[in-house]
Amino acid sequence: MTDGIRVAALDDITEGEGIAIAKAITGTDDDIALLRDTDGSVWALDDTCTHEDASLADGWVEDGYVECPLHSSKFCLKNGEVQGLPATRSTCPHRVEVRDGEVYLFPNQAP
Amino acid sequence: MTIETPRGALRRPAELAPTIDVRGLVDSEGGLVDRAVFTDQQIYRQELRRVFAPSWLFLAHTDQFHKPGDFFTTYMGEDPVIVTLDRNRRVRAYLNSCRHRGARVCRADYGATRNFTCTYHGWSYDLEGKLVSVPNKAGYPESFDTGEWGLVEVPNVDSYLGLIFGTWNPAPVPLRESLGDMAWYMDAMLDHDDQGTVVVGGVHKWVLEGNWKLAAEQFATDWYHVNMSHASALMLLSPTGKGPKDEIVHRTGRQYASPNGHGAGFPVHPKNRFDAKTVHQWTDYAALRERLGDARVEGPLTNGHATVFPNFSYLPVNGSIRIWHPKGPDRMEVWAWTIVDKSMPPQVREAQRLYNLRTFGPSGIFEQDDGENWSEVQAVSHGFVTNSVPLNYQMGLGSERDDGRHPGSTSELYSDAAGRTFYARWRELMTTPAWHEEGK
Repeated sequence: MTDGIRVAALDDITEGEGIAIAKAITGTDDDIALLRDTDGSVWALDDTCTHEDASLADGWVEDGYVECPLHSSKFCLKNGEVQGLPATRSTCPHRVEVRDGEVYLFPNQAP
Repeated sequence: MTIETPRGALRRPAELAPTIDVRGLVDSEGGLVDRAVFTDQQIYRQELRRVFAPSWLFLAHTDQFHKPGDFFTTYMGEDPVIVTLDRNRRVRAYLNSCRHRGARVCRADYGATRNFTCTYHGWSYDLEGKLVSVPNKAGYPESFDTGEWGLVEVPNVDSYLGLIFGTWNPAPVPLRESLGDMAWYMDAMLDHDDQGTVVVGGVHKWVLEGNWKLAAEQFATDWYHVNMSHASALMLLSPTGKGPKDEIVHRTGRQYASPNGHGAGFPVHPKNRFDAKTVHQWTDYAALRERLGDARVEGPLTNGHATVFPNFSYLPVNGSIRIWHPKGPDRMEVWAWTIVDKSMPPQVREAQRLYNLRTFGPSGIFEQDDGENWSEVQAVSHGFVTNSVPLNYQMGLGSERDDGRHPGSTSELYSDAAGRTFYARWRELMTTPAWHEEGK
C-alpha cells in the first residue's frame, strides 16, 4: 500500500466540490470524501459528517474548509478539525497524493 | 386538499373560510365594477383561495435554471415557493415552508444548492423535496415516517416558450389550453426565432400601494391612459420635445379580450417598430413577417400591453415581463424581468436593457406614472362614500367582434373590453368552489 490506491483522475474532481470513494475500495469504516479546494489542491476526509448523516463530498469546498451541505458544519481540509456547531467532533483526515494527474489515496495515514 | 398531508385529528371549521357572494360586485355586461373588490379584506382572502390557488401562475423564466440545484424563490399568491431543477433537470416547485414549524427552508432570492435546510431546527430536504435529515430523529415515535413530511410540491408545473407557470390545482385545464388564443399574441414577443429568449440582469422588485388588480387590468385593457398619464415622458422622448406626431398619438389598433381573463392591446400599423434604435436596426422585420405573419408584425410584435390572467403582464417593445404579487388588498409587490432574444448580439441586448430601464422599471419614466395612478386610486378608495360609488368600464361596450385578422374576440385599441372580461373571469372564479373546497 505504500504507493496508495489510485482512486480518481484529478480532472474528475471539480474545484470547490468533492467526490465520495466507497469504503469497499478504501477499506475504511466510512466512505472517504475527496475534496478539491479552490486553489486546486486535493484533500481527503471521512465522508460522513460527524453531526448527522450527510456526505461531505456533497458539500461546499472553499479556502481550506468543507461545509456540510445539510447543516453547514465546517471542517478543516488539512486536519479534519471541526470549526463550529452544530457538529462538535472533528473528522478523520487521510493522506492524498497527486501524481501525473492521478489521485492516490493512503487510507488511515496522516496527511 | 388533495395534497396529502397527515392531519390526525385536525379539522378546519368552515368559519375560517367564509364565502362572499360577489356576483353583485361586477357587472361585466353593463361595464360597472364595485370598488369593494379593491379594498375588502374578506374578498381578498377569497381571491387567494379561489382565484390564485386554482389558476396557472407565472413562476420564473427557464433561463434562470441551468444545472441541478439552481433555484429561484417567488410567490404564488401569498404562498412562498421555491422553483428548482431536480437531479434529473426537471423543473419542480415546492411550498417554501418547513413541515416542522413552518419557517422558509430557502431564504435566498436565488442561487444554487444541494439541499433546502430550515435554519430553525435543521430539517433538511433534497432537490426532490424529500425530507432527508431530522436532527435528533431518535426522539420521534416509531410512527414518524419522513416519507410523509417532505416539502409540499406544486402539483402542476409547465412552461410556454420559456415562461414557467405552476398551479396548485391538481387537475387543471392544461396551460396551453388555458392560454387559448392568447398564445398567438404572446408568440409575437416570445417566438421571434428558434432560439427563444433569455433573461438579462436580475429581477427588479418594488412595493406599491395599490390592489394587484389595478395593475393587472391596466396591462390587459388600457391603452387609454397612455397619452394622458405619460404625456411628459412622451414629450421627453420625442425629437421635438412636444410629443409624438399626431398620426402616432391617434393611431388606431385592436384589443384582444379572452374569455379566460387574458387581454392584450396594440396599435396596428405597417411600420410599427421597436423603440430602441439599436434594437430596431438589428430587427429583421421581413424574417419576422415570414415567421409570424403580417398581422402580428403590424400589431402585437412591438408596442402594446398584455396580461395573462390573473397577475402576469408584459410589454413586447422593451422585453419587460412582470408579476403583480398580491400583498393584502392595499398593496402589491412588482417583480420585473427583462428578456431579450437569445440571438441578439451583446450590444443589442444592452440597448434593450437600457431602454427598458429608462422606461419601465422602478426608476422608469413611464413606470412611475403608472405606479402613481394605482396608488392614487387605492389611497382614496377606503372612504365610505367613495367606496360605494361604482367605477366605469363602458368604453367599447358592444364593440367586441371577430375582426378576421386577429384571433379571438377583439375590440378597439381604446376600449375597456379586456377589463370587462378580466373581471368577468374573476367573478366566475370567485363564485366557483375550488378543488380544495369540494366535499365540504
